[in-house]
Amino acid sequence: MIHPSAASVGQVPPLLVVEDSNEDFEALQRFLQRSPTSIPIQRCVSGEQALAFLYRTGAYSDRESSPRPGLIVLDLNLPGTDGREVLRRIKQDASLKTIPVVVFTTSNNPKDLADCYQYGVNSYIVKPINFAQLKQDIQTLVDYWFEVTAHAERSED
Amino acid sequence: MTDEILHLTDIDLTTIASTPIASTTIDLTNCDREPIHRPGSIQPHGILLVLQESTLEIIQVSSNTADLLDRQPAELLGKPLSELLDPEQVKLIQTCLAEDFETINPLNLSIKRLHQSMHFDGIVHRIDPVIILELEPKLADSKTDFFVFYQQVRGTITRIQKAPTLLEMCQLVVKEVRRLTNFDRVMVYQFDPEGGGHVIAEDTNQEAPYLDLHYPPSDIPKQARQLYTLNWLRLIPDASYQPVALIPAHNPITNQPLDLSLSGLRSVSPLHLEYLKNMGVTASMSISLIHDQKLWGLIACHHSSPKYIPYGTRTVCEFIGQVMSVELINKEASEDIDYKMQLKSLQTQFVEALSKSEHFLDGMAQLDRQLLDLVNATGAVICSGNQCIRVGDTPSSAAVHTLLSWIKPHFQHSVFETRSLAKNYPAAEAFQSIASGVLALEISKVHHNYILWFRPEVSQTVNWGGNPNKPVEVLQDGSLRMSPRQSFARWQETVRGSALPWKPCEIEAVAELRSLIVGVVLRQADELASMNFELQRSNEELDSFAYIASHDLKEPLRGIHNYANFLMEDYAEVLEGDGIEKLQTLVRLTQRMEDLINSLLYFSRLGRADLIRQPVNLNELVQQTIATLTMARPQSEIEFRVPQLLPTIECDRAQITDLYTNLISNAIKYNDKPQQWIEIGWVETAEGDREGMSQKIPSHAPTHPTFYVRDNGIGIAPEHLSKIFQIFRRLHGRDDFGGGTGVGLTIARKIVERHGGRIWVESVPTQGSTFYFTLSAEASL
Repeated sequence: MIHPSAASVGQVPPLLVVEDSNEDFEALQRFLQRSPTSIPIQRCVSGEQALAFLYRTGAYSDRESSPRPGLIVLDLNLPGTDGREVLRRIKQDASLKTIPVVVFTTSNNPKDLADCYQYGVNSYIVKPINFAQLKQDIQTLVDYWFEVTAHAERSED
Repeated sequence: MTDEILHLTDIDLTTIASTPIASTTIDLTNCDREPIHRPGSIQPHGILLVLQESTLEIIQVSSNTADLLDRQPAELLGKPLSELLDPEQVKLIQTCLAEDFETINPLNLSIKRLHQSMHFDGIVHRIDPVIILELEPKLADSKTDFFVFYQQVRGTITRIQKAPTLLEMCQLVVKEVRRLTNFDRVMVYQFDPEGGGHVIAEDTNQEAPYLDLHYPPSDIPKQARQLYTLNWLRLIPDASYQPVALIPAHNPITNQPLDLSLSGLRSVSPLHLEYLKNMGVTASMSISLIHDQKLWGLIACHHSSPKYIPYGTRTVCEFIGQVMSVELINKEASEDIDYKMQLKSLQTQFVEALSKSEHFLDGMAQLDRQLLDLVNATGAVICSGNQCIRVGDTPSSAAVHTLLSWIKPHFQHSVFETRSLAKNYPAAEAFQSIASGVLALEISKVHHNYILWFRPEVSQTVNWGGNPNKPVEVLQDGSLRMSPRQSFARWQETVRGSALPWKPCEIEAVAELRSLIVGVVLRQADELASMNFELQRSNEELDSFAYIASHDLKEPLRGIHNYANFLMEDYAEVLEGDGIEKLQTLVRLTQRMEDLINSLLYFSRLGRADLIRQPVNLNELVQQTIATLTMARPQSEIEFRVPQLLPTIECDRAQITDLYTNLISNAIKYNDKPQQWIEIGWVETAEGDREGMSQKIPSHAPTHPTFYVRDNGIGIAPEHLSKIFQIFRRLHGRDDFGGGTGVGLTIARKIVERHGGRIWVESVPTQGSTFYFTLSAEASL
């Protein structure tokens, strides 16, 4: 079912950033805002909050204020339900798994990499400690997922 | 012998009666097999009646009933017992069949014959499927009153109990028994483990003492010893008696010669009768001394003329024997009490010393003198694995080694002991002067832990009751014949090749020592296991700690990095050039910090990741590594030498790549020569010395490759050699030689160790270094 109101042409679906670190979020936001494409950003600080947003439960039950994101940027080390679990839940859910998920994490542990791709993550970026690199990574991310790629139509609602 | 007896029992009774068995030609061969419990006859001092259990019908009788009862055997056979005894007495016997015979025997029986009452001691027992009733005529003066009995034994029992030593008890007992019985000679005879024995106490009115005389095992053969354990008392009133046959010859129920094992009247083995005759003994009585359910010895009584001991007196003597048997345990326990205490305390010191030492061999060897004192030995050898430590006088190591191999199958409950080793192990003759006695203890077969103690030869004189070597006579028909020796006169033998015997308490101490040692070893193993477990746990904790910590360190570091950059971006105009420079330093430091954290992360991951061993062609791997390293600096002119093709080995490809990367990049980095070269090669371990390598590799090791990376670089000062593998340890300034985190060699070492190998360095400052490593446990021995 297609709801014309929610899928109106030209409206960019929001980017969901699941990130508990304010500093990392600020860095991310700083470069996202420089992007020529205006992208609405929705932030969650924990795994529980992210799942509530995606399933529209609790504080996010209002469909209008919690639209389906076009991309999820997910940190792995989160308080409570961590990013690995959030990823697993998304990729096992028939309606959510079409949303591209990019893991953005400190961990370069081979096991995390292997696990995430196993779950079906769409991309995995290690947070660099390199300002220029960070700038470039985020630009590439936005360009690729919001300009280059075509996305599946939303099947829910 | 067996055949002869069976043959004899088959022939006519009248022949038996007229043939004096004692005078038949007697052969000592096979005398251990003589069926002495079924002689087919009894001694004449009583009557034997065999009764059918259910009816008490008389089914077999001794042929002397006419002499003692004035009734012919034929008159009694097939008759009920009531034919002889009045109903009350029959009833008494029936009652006692349902009870324990011992508490009832002897029965006071009287038999009326022609207005005259004859009094008997009746002794009843059950054997085969029949009842045996033995009647011994009562002497006029014999009383079996309990109070008489009590009076006779009370004082003796008290004195037996109070006797301070075993020997004093024995001396007291022979005196008491002789006082009660008036035998010419009363002795205590103690068996040795081989079945022989010697007289340890004697009371006699005869001139020639038997004290300390030894007798060989054949004097009291095995089945005779067996009968002594069944019957506590055995009386032969007259060794020159005529045996009384049984009528009929066989037990009619089993159709076999009657089993007289428990019969007091049982006829004596003709061999024993001849033995007694040769010894000049006419009457004899033996009381068994039983210790720990084994025949320990006998109270032996001899008389030169016939002598009958009434049942009551016999009971008193038997009781004395029983009390003495019980006391044997107490007396033996208090024997050598001081010595035993000393052994105990030595044992304790021993175990204490052992529990403090880390290795069995060291702990034992330290004890030295105490090890010998523990069993009063003059030499000892402690074996552990292939090592032996000798203390005191011992045979050579080689001799001990061979001896131990011989002893191994002879261990019983982990102990082996002999006082005359050469008797069973002829090779020991070579060293019998120092090691005739051997006491060996097996502590662990698996770990080959043994202790052997030695005692020197002590030449001894043994007094035999006659020459114990059986005389062999050649008969007219050419066959060999043996007979009991004719003379029992003292016969001296000098025994060589024997040491003083190991005392039971010494053997016990050694057996106990084993369990104590095993206890110590087990406890040490437990401690080691728990330490290992603890170590493994803390290693794992450390690994995951390093991983988590360095991971979490990164987040704030990234924040600092980013915010410094934010400042430079957002406030460039406000900040002076100096301020920008300081922020740039801050950023550089965060990046350096990240390098360190990454190295730490990598290092900790090395310890956690599973090793993926697969065949890897090192030749290709090294070439790729060189290519990768030189890609970044194409202008450099380093000469890479690989003198011979590297082998293909089983290893973790990624880790070995890192290993070579670290070693080669170090070799590139720390080189200031105009002509730089790096040699990557390997040697078979056995060729190590030729290659000028250190002594760390023993030349006998099997051929496993030792790899090396050699350079003509700046070298390492000897004082720094031990530090270079430490984590974050740098020998040079932070920015000299291209910098670095100081973790490369630590990672190299970890990789090598995870492969079970070793890494080490040899270096001459200003001339170059060589890093050697092995990749298997075998090669790094």
